[in-house]
Amino acid sequence: MPRKSNRNPPPAGSSKRLRYLGYAVLALTVALGAYLVYLNHLINNRFEGDTWALPSRVYARALELYPGLPLNRAQLEYELELSTYLEVKEQPQTGQYRRRGEAIELHAREFDFGGEQQPARLVRVVFSGDRVAGLSDPDSGEPLQLFRLPPVIIGSYYPDNGEDRLLLAEDEVPRQLIDTLIAVEDRQFYEHHGLSLRSIGRALLANFEAGRTVQGGSTLTQQLAKNMFLSPEKSLLRKINEAFMALLLELRFSKRAIITAYINEVFLLQQNRIAIHGFARASRMLFRRSVDHLEPQHLALLVGMVNGPSRYNPFRSPGAAIERRNLVLKVMLDQGLLDASEYATAAAAPLGIVERLPGVNPFPAYLDLVKRQLSSNYAGTDLSRRGLRVFTAFDPQVQRNLEAGLEHGLARFDQPELQAAAMVADYLSGDIQALVSDRESDYPGFNRALMAQRPIGSLIKPILLYSLLQGELTLASRVEDQPVRIRQSDGKVWEPSNYDRQLHGSMTLYQAFVHSYNLPFVNLGVDGGLEALAQNLAKMNLLKHQVVYPSMLLGTTAMSAYEVAQMFQVIANNGYFTPLTTIRSVSDQQNRNLGRVPLESYKLFDQARMIQVQRALIGVAETGTARYLAERFPGRSLAGKTGTTDDLRDSWFAGFTRRQLAVVWLGRDDNQPINLTGSSGALRVWADIMDRQGFEPFKLSRDASLEWSFVDPIDGGIVRQTCDNGVLLPFPKAQVPNTRSACH
Amino acid sequence: MPLKLLSILLLMLLSACAVEPAYNRYELPAAAGQPGESAVAQLQRKAREALDHNDYQQAVEYLQRAIKIEPRNPYSWHYLAETYWFSGDLRRCAEMADRSFSYSSEADKLDEANRRLKEQCQPI
Repeated sequence: MPRKSNRNPPPAGSSKRLRYLGYAVLALTVALGAYLVYLNHLINNRFEGDTWALPSRVYARALELYPGLPLNRAQLEYELELSTYLEVKEQPQTGQYRRRGEAIELHAREFDFGGEQQPARLVRVVFSGDRVAGLSDPDSGEPLQLFRLPPVIIGSYYPDNGEDRLLLAEDEVPRQLIDTLIAVEDRQFYEHHGLSLRSIGRALLANFEAGRTVQGGSTLTQQLAKNMFLSPEKSLLRKINEAFMALLLELRFSKRAIITAYINEVFLLQQNRIAIHGFARASRMLFRRSVDHLEPQHLALLVGMVNGPSRYNPFRSPGAAIERRNLVLKVMLDQGLLDASEYATAAAAPLGIVERLPGVNPFPAYLDLVKRQLSSNYAGTDLSRRGLRVFTAFDPQVQRNLEAGLEHGLARFDQPELQAAAMVADYLSGDIQALVSDRESDYPGFNRALMAQRPIGSLIKPILLYSLLQGELTLASRVEDQPVRIRQSDGKVWEPSNYDRQLHGSMTLYQAFVHSYNLPFVNLGVDGGLEALAQNLAKMNLLKHQVVYPSMLLGTTAMSAYEVAQMFQVIANNGYFTPLTTIRSVSDQQNRNLGRVPLESYKLFDQARMIQVQRALIGVAETGTARYLAERFPGRSLAGKTGTTDDLRDSWFAGFTRRQLAVVWLGRDDNQPINLTGSSGALRVWADIMDRQGFEPFKLSRDASLEWSFVDPIDGGIVRQTCDNGVLLPFPKAQVPNTRSACH
Repeated sequence: MPLKLLSILLLMLLSACAVEPAYNRYELPAAAGQPGESAVAQLQRKAREALDHNDYQQAVEYLQRAIKIEPRNPYSWHYLAETYWFSGDLRRCAEMADRSFSYSSEADKLDEANRRLKEQCQPI
């Protein structure tokens, strides 16, 4: 028989309520636990993922210094500035340089060239005008024949998201920055555990008195949580999340790690479409300095901006920014971070910011191409590693000339909507040295140089000329500039004309090419040149459509500036195809080589025939559509071709010197006419670029199978060397003209 | 016993076939390594030293640097072709010999070396 309990059972309702309460507390605890686990997971991902990993770094080419190198002192100094070398007056230490009359003494940093370790060392570079006269070791006086300067970093990115960031490691953050930040934003930073009840209470009181939010009570840790994980909207839920995350951050990481993350993460400025996060990036962009070279007034401005990136934007509200900066300087003085005289100097200093904010990444078009070529040439597993070192062919000097030339060139045309793409390459090695894809060269937008496919107009003619020379024709062959009507496969009639709408009668193929007359080329093209043209384009992987149509003869084929450059690389390099590339080699964090891009060279076309095409391209620059070059650079041989498309929508010029080729495209994104021909537009810009770049004139190679003769450019007959109209042209030995012209 | 002899003979015959065709390297100028040696000559010499140690990758690296400085120096291209020959990359060997040929003056001693090398570079 069961024992009877003495106690009275609780009322049924009350027991149930207690049980439900217990369940509810349990469920809440589980939910809270799960939620904390989730928040912890978020923090893990961020802190142990990208934020603390080494970014992949992209390097420019290493500058080889040797006696005779065309480089002046200012150019070397520019290179050193890009590598953040500091100019000093005394004996330079590692990472420093000094001027000594016509020489520079630099103390190069140690560098691992992907397998070859170069120790830090002092080098004296003596200049004579625009050349390096000699190199020596200043200590021993011993001459050096060659020294490789460690390359400039032109960008860094994270493999997972491709984002470009500039981060500081814990030991790279200046002490004064940490102290000022704490003095201004969170004086209890070292005492609290993520939340400061005192600050919250003080803020609540202030806000209550003002009747609105005038003061925040967030600690630096809470601000970090907000910056890293949460949306900017103000809500109770967000505040709660922020508080939990701050507590978790403090539980997991040291104060030093938290303040470093804050310094790397905090949002400081929005200017146009550029958002700047982190002190390292902001100091580089606003002052062109690294954080360890900031003066107190710079540091105070940046710390002041934390509180109101929009309110204290120094570009839009310089007055408010100075006021805020001086307030911070006062705090620094009060806290003993500055003495009275330092305070007085700093408070009287101007803002000292750059006039115009540069792009986050100074060379966005080039870096974009690097990333594209990386993903197409290297295995995904290699690329996902952190801390890769990507060695490129980027040449800061050439890029600077390209940008300056483009800016100057575009200023000739009063067309704000006019867009541009341009690139410079070493056609002998295939190195892409410089690239711009927007009229604002540092604007990281649509990469026109790679992606904008535009009809190339007469830029097709050099390959067409080559195709015609593969038959019976020579440069002196007579061609007719006469009307042509072609019924196409779709039944439509195509009736092309010359650019000047005139007919010029009979002339040599050379003359028709130099003046870029269309009709002779269409006439010859439909007689067999078209098929050969398609085959030759296919050899370079530039045949865009399988169906060949006559209008291709006039360059209706669309290409990017990059593809045009590849086509001209083959032409300039005597018919040898060398793939244009930005990447030279890639190594991992441990400096193990993941692969070099070897120098390739495929013989695609006949050298002798290509030399004849090059001779015609020199003619273009001497007396043809690009004779502006002969006027601007008299006595200096250049080769190139203009390109203009229907209704003057695209203006092209592609040309080369003894070592480099450059391509310029001008046009509008909406494809409206720009009223510029290749000659009145892109050619001028090209000349502006090359003028800055400086160049060796182009020289034709010798070829034993060719014979040179003076001919009349109109009737193609042999003339005496003394005849005014004679042009010296190359011919295959068996095809030298046998007729004589009037002046003989 | 005759079977054993036959196998030895066969082995000897096969190993004779496997011997690489002889190739005489084009020698560096006598001034190599002397004071005043140019940057390009220095890199060519270092490439040769790397090749002597069978470090083909390093040799290629030096020669590519030399070519960047003086891209039309036929010797750098020739040495690059040789390096590829020794490393067994016959396609690149032929390409580089071709480039060397295109930059060298006619009837030069180097032309003859290029011709010889190109013949040997032809993939079998």
